[in-house]
Amino acid sequence: MPRIRLFSALFILAALSIPLATLVVAQRSAIDTYAITNARIVPVSGPVIERGTIVIRDGLIVSVGDKITPPADARIIDGTGLNVYPGLFDTNTNLGLPAPSPVPSPTGGPGGFLQAQLRAATTPPAPGPNSTQPPGLQPEVMIEDTIKPGGNEIENARNNGITTAVSAPRSGIWMGQSALINLSGETSQQMIVRSPLAMHVGFTPLRNGGYPGSLMGVFASLRQMLLDAQRYQKLQEAYERSPRGMRRPDIDRSLAALVPVLEGKLPVIMYADRQREIERALDLAQEFKLRAIIAGGQEAAEVAKELRDQNVPVLLSLNFPRRTTSASPDADPETMRTLRSRVDALKTAAKLSGAKVRFAFQSGGLTNMSDYRANAAKAIENGLAADEALRAMTLRAAEILGVSDRLGSIETGKIANLTLIRGDLFDRNARVTNVFVDGKPIEIRATPAPAAGTGTAAAAETRITMAGNWTINVDVQGQLITGTLTVRQEGGSLSGSMQTQVGSSEFSGGTLTGNAFHIVTTMSIQGQSVQLTINGTIEGNSLSGTVASPFGTQTLTGTRQPGN
Amino acid sequence: MKKLVTPLLLLSLLSAFPFSRATAQSAGAGNPTETLIRNATVLTVTKGTLTNADVLIRNGKIAGVGKGLKASANARIIDATGQYVMPGIVDCHSHSMLDTINEGTLAVTSMAHTRDVLNPTDVDLYRELAGGVTTLNLLHGSANPIGGLNTVVKIKYGRPASEFIFPGAMPGIKFALGENVKRSNNPNIPGAQRRYPVTRMGVEEVIRDAFTRARDYKKTWDEYNASVKRGEKNLVPPRRDLQLEPLVEVLEGKRYVHSHCYRADEIMMLINIANEFGFKVKTFQHVLEGYKVAREIAAHGAGGSTFADSWAYKIEAYDAIPYNPAIMMRAGVVVSVNSDSDERARRLNIDAAKSMRYGDLTEDEALKLITLNPAIQLGIQDRVGSIEVGKDADLAIWTAHPLSVYSRVAITMIDGDIFFDREKDLAQRAELAKERAQLEQAEPNRPAAGGRPPQAPRGRRPSHDDDDVEQGDQP
Repeated sequence: MPRIRLFSALFILAALSIPLATLVVAQRSAIDTYAITNARIVPVSGPVIERGTIVIRDGLIVSVGDKITPPADARIIDGTGLNVYPGLFDTNTNLGLPAPSPVPSPTGGPGGFLQAQLRAATTPPAPGPNSTQPPGLQPEVMIEDTIKPGGNEIENARNNGITTAVSAPRSGIWMGQSALINLSGETSQQMIVRSPLAMHVGFTPLRNGGYPGSLMGVFASLRQMLLDAQRYQKLQEAYERSPRGMRRPDIDRSLAALVPVLEGKLPVIMYADRQREIERALDLAQEFKLRAIIAGGQEAAEVAKELRDQNVPVLLSLNFPRRTTSASPDADPETMRTLRSRVDALKTAAKLSGAKVRFAFQSGGLTNMSDYRANAAKAIENGLAADEALRAMTLRAAEILGVSDRLGSIETGKIANLTLIRGDLFDRNARVTNVFVDGKPIEIRATPAPAAGTGTAAAAETRITMAGNWTINVDVQGQLITGTLTVRQEGGSLSGSMQTQVGSSEFSGGTLTGNAFHIVTTMSIQGQSVQLTINGTIEGNSLSGTVASPFGTQTLTGTRQPGN
Repeated sequence: MKKLVTPLLLLSLLSAFPFSRATAQSAGAGNPTETLIRNATVLTVTKGTLTNADVLIRNGKIAGVGKGLKASANARIIDATGQYVMPGIVDCHSHSMLDTINEGTLAVTSMAHTRDVLNPTDVDLYRELAGGVTTLNLLHGSANPIGGLNTVVKIKYGRPASEFIFPGAMPGIKFALGENVKRSNNPNIPGAQRRYPVTRMGVEEVIRDAFTRARDYKKTWDEYNASVKRGEKNLVPPRRDLQLEPLVEVLEGKRYVHSHCYRADEIMMLINIANEFGFKVKTFQHVLEGYKVAREIAAHGAGGSTFADSWAYKIEAYDAIPYNPAIMMRAGVVVSVNSDSDERARRLNIDAAKSMRYGDLTEDEALKLITLNPAIQLGIQDRVGSIEVGKDADLAIWTAHPLSVYSRVAITMIDGDIFFDREKDLAQRAELAKERAQLEQAEPNRPAAGGRPPQAPRGRRPSHDDDDVEQGDQP
């Protein structure tokens, strides 16, 4: 008997120390105590612990250190060979928002933000039925009211190490109020860390033919509504002080929503990429003494002095601009300014750091979320200190968003959001192995390994070929967009180009594994760079799958063109 | 004639920096505070023409005009032998450097401000400097009877937008009459209501209604302010209305009205409304039938800012004649010639010269059309518009008489700093080509599939042109 018991004990021990991919997604189980042992811990708020232990209980970090004994009831996670970082932040997303509706949009997307002009095709989450303002000018709209847990986008972000995100409204001028969410939880209430987090302002006019229809009108309406909100506040206060003898002022939820903004209690996140866009946003903030945060910030380095002097932080987009197609000889050449700005965008983070401007990173419309850390690595190659980059994804992000007392670093008492990585955070070959959100481990679904070198000779002979020209259709909010996909294939590697009615692009580095293909490309649509992630399968001469973009996820179908 | 710096020397200096950024020419510090332009023909515009004369510039102002001037030891000397110096051209009607031109959704958009949409990186600014232009009146477009507010700028290309703003320029507002206003009612959404007005009657009514409301608004605020002065308590201030405030400023004479117009009847209509409400129209823009009502315009005290010889591009432009500027001038109207076009702005010197052929203006009168007169129309004549001691050093040096079709700009200077230098521009071309080649090879500039980069620049891209309402105006 003792031998069997010993054997079972050994077996259990062995099972427990099998790393993480076998860990079951924790439901409402009794297990809420975990200990990550023997890991390299990067707290960010303090020095690195080369070999240490983190104990988690009831969603919080209970202890961190190199001499900690895990409690008896803790589920042990062996962190040998792993780096543990605070859960990564993405400070500008639409995670959790319902997909854009097929109804033609009344509003344009936030201006100045390179991706956001394309998010026009959506009605705001909850157009107030009793609002005095048209959709797009309704600051009372709150993300908290329509956010939903689960879904592919949230899972995709988590698989890449992100545990906390700002979920922001998609479009409008006064776009609405965002929420800070943890990327897990079964109800929206469980997800929300703080709401409202900030007021969001975009600078793109309404596209329904109504006022404002131009950028001049946008600024005029922002200004007029802020003036009206100032007056509204005074009137309401005067009435509350002594209502007798005073005519009752009308209630106005839109103006009421701007009062915390005027008082500086709610920060304002303003979308601006170009130097002049950032300057205009700063001027507006100064005019009304708003607590501003710039989102996008591609040319923020040009305005670094003003940003520092006015103490305005930047949510810097890692969706670096790329050239999307090689031009035909008849096309106008790109301007030197455009060429320079693409190269300079990589250096912005380093320059902001040198100028002591506070910044955090955001994905800026990336759909291939492995680019999030990869692009941060590019910023490091272009002069940003590695620990500044880490801070921009963790503690600095938490500071800028006002939650550094509960998130952003590995410290006792903080929320147990952790990202475990085999390899350094910014190493191209590193893999996220575990993610803890609110103290619960979440299963990581790894992306398929590249096809090169796998499979038998027989499989190679019968390898499906995707090479050739395909006629493709993408269903975008009920509208069918057609185009051609031209693919060159070498083994399991795909490259080629895509031409559609809305834009063209080229791609490389795509993969074909069995009959499943994965392509990431950046397309120029209406002058803006949009990243598309295409996943699908091939059956004979047809393909089907999905296209993920800032719009959301759309269905893709296609047929091989004859003669291929 | 001696050049400023020999091209060879410049090239060797530039090649010392393997990958230097060829930036806009006067983008930063390092400009001398004193400059002496020597031995030129100086076209002062107001005080005659001086030959073999010098212009001394100190701290951005003209410090001396005459023969044999002396400068201090560290002054920059520009040898302008055989060249002509004239005041920088003032373009009274421009839509350059604006990210958007029209807020066309309402008939009255006086709350829209061009100052909110300035784009200092517009390359047309550099081309205008190369045409000798130094000051622009940036106007709202002509989609509305009452449009947005203007901005007067000096073309300090390379500097941030805030440094462009012309100090002390009188604020203005754009009005528009006639076809552009009536036509800019194309519905954006099928089935949507057309924006009123669609006729000239409606245009007049919109303006009258707006000023009536502005008059009432002013009265409300005057009464409120008087109550406050009397010491009354528990007062609720009226709502601030950004649409009506600029119109109140017009009524109080604190804001200039620049009105786009063509036909004689609509010019008279606006004069009558202005008289009715007690304000003055500062300039009629385009005013191609101004010659028909020149005396009435002069009696009202308005200026006219017109084209040299554009005509018949619309029905309302059909009766235009190239003698228009001359006839109005002889009737006593302050007349300027403008561009309303990034392209035409480069050759305003030729447009001014046309009035010597059509109307027998003298050289100085022709030069005034693009210098002193537009300055008067914008209220900046104390600072620019002629070469006189004490005025801003906004000048251009031309290779021949500026009214000659063979003349080109060699140097353009604003507040004593050089913003365009033809020789420097030519010398930089090789370096720019090298930089372009290097940039094309950088990773973000190579498309994903490794396609071939495009070839060298070929031809010019189209620029904003003509007076029409922008098609699909990009906001």
